[in-house]
Amino acid sequence: MADTDAAGDADDEGAGSGTAGGDAADRSGDDADRGAPAAPTGGLVVPVEPTPTLRATIAYAVEAAVDDGFSTIHLVEIASWRNGDPDADSRAAKAERVLERAEAWANSDLDDLDGDRPPVTVATELIGADEYLFGPDDYVRVLAAYAKEHDAGAVLLDPEYTPVGNTTLLQPLEFALSNTSLTVETAPVTRPTRRERLRSEATGGRFVAMFGFSLAFYLLLGDPFYWFDWVTGIATAAIVSITLSRVSIDTEPAIPRTPMRVVRGVIYVPVLLFEIVKANVEIARVILDPRLPIEPTLNRMRVIVGSGLPLMTLANSITLTPGTLTVRARDSDLYVHSLIPSARDGLFDGSLERWTRFVYYGRASARLPTPRERDDCAILQGPDATEELPIAAADGGAEPSESGETPPEPDEGSDAATPEVTDG
Amino acid sequence: MIDALGTARVALVVAFTLLGLFFTFVSMTGVLRLPDVYSRAHTASQADTLGAGFGLAAVALTIGWEAAGVKSVLLLFFIFVTNPTAAHAIARAAFEEGTVPWTEGDERR
Repeated sequence: MADTDAAGDADDEGAGSGTAGGDAADRSGDDADRGAPAAPTGGLVVPVEPTPTLRATIAYAVEAAVDDGFSTIHLVEIASWRNGDPDADSRAAKAERVLERAEAWANSDLDDLDGDRPPVTVATELIGADEYLFGPDDYVRVLAAYAKEHDAGAVLLDPEYTPVGNTTLLQPLEFALSNTSLTVETAPVTRPTRRERLRSEATGGRFVAMFGFSLAFYLLLGDPFYWFDWVTGIATAAIVSITLSRVSIDTEPAIPRTPMRVVRGVIYVPVLLFEIVKANVEIARVILDPRLPIEPTLNRMRVIVGSGLPLMTLANSITLTPGTLTVRARDSDLYVHSLIPSARDGLFDGSLERWTRFVYYGRASARLPTPRERDDCAILQGPDATEELPIAAADGGAEPSESGETPPEPDEGSDAATPEVTDG
Repeated sequence: MIDALGTARVALVVAFTLLGLFFTFVSMTGVLRLPDVYSRAHTASQADTLGAGFGLAAVALTIGWEAAGVKSVLLLFFIFVTNPTAAHAIARAAFEEGTVPWTEGDERR
């Protein structure tokens, strides 16, 4: 099933990317018109993974194909393993089942359309199993080669698409794809409600992890050498893990990965403590200075960490470090308020982001350009402002809207009247 | 109890207590002096984290390696998780209310 030509074709495709700077500059603008239809070309490639939003993404792909005149929807699954791996066969079989299901969905959506079935065909393919793929660039190379071979000009991404399983790839993937000639779009679908996700995910691994953690915590508070505390502890831990193991742990614990994360987290704690003390001294000096030399600004930073626990760790680390305060997390955009310019510069240097990546994804993944180098940061206020302040009243605190973005309301005047302000 | 402690330990306990007091004082000063809700959220949570942190470190050092000492270390971790969460909740509430962060030249509020 593997497409053995993919690797060969891919090199020229990958090398021809160029103009990274221009693309990066355009990117913030792209967000606004993400909902716009892609240019019609032969085929639409949809990378497939069993995500909660896959169904909605397929539905959207069918809609897009009909509206924009794509002749074929290519459902591709990119293998995260390599042929010859011990479990390659079982994983390939699993991937085939996902593809079959996705194909069935796409076909039934096509059949359900009003009137005759439009002349859209659905193709499925498992690609990339002849080599190990490491990062977004590899995935894009394989995707681009496939698209070239099948004369497809557009890619539709599932917003929850994470082929590796333990690394978030959507944002880097979007970025890398923007360097190719392909048209890229992220399906504007919302993830299902949390309740729905919770119900489906009860496993032994989570139960054991939660049980062990609760019991250890209970015994730490109690007396581990007293038999009665063991009895009550086991009962308590059982109740806790039955009720909460599906809620509290959102990714399946895996043997080398989870303990490694804990170990790396322990390494991170002193680093974070040091950062906190250092920044605290700086802030104390500013606050006690009679002139109060503060220059607070709101900033935006697009971070490359997974959603859920990694994003929470990063946002909380930023808040813990004095001088920076996470105000809002919208997808991978963090809105961070900074009190003094040096705190802001430290934030844009991205050391906390790298440390978070180190904790969750290991050392190799921690090496990435700073947000400043990636052009993933913006100052929203003050004389150095590079972007307009998305005044929050406009979006009413809703979840990310259907089109992915809410139109920012211009508010440059620093003395703009804000009637809501009542504090102080 | 103090007699049982070595002089160095007493000195450390005193130093930690004073540091904790200092950072709590800075935090309070910040809340009074800073101009708006965002900058106050910075200092209310942050200097306080270190203030409470040093205070609990002093407690742990005084009690020693006993159950209560271990618990004070746990408390420290608890504060480190809850404090930024609370600060984030305050800031986010202000942001969603449409409060524009104070910048140079604005009035205090």
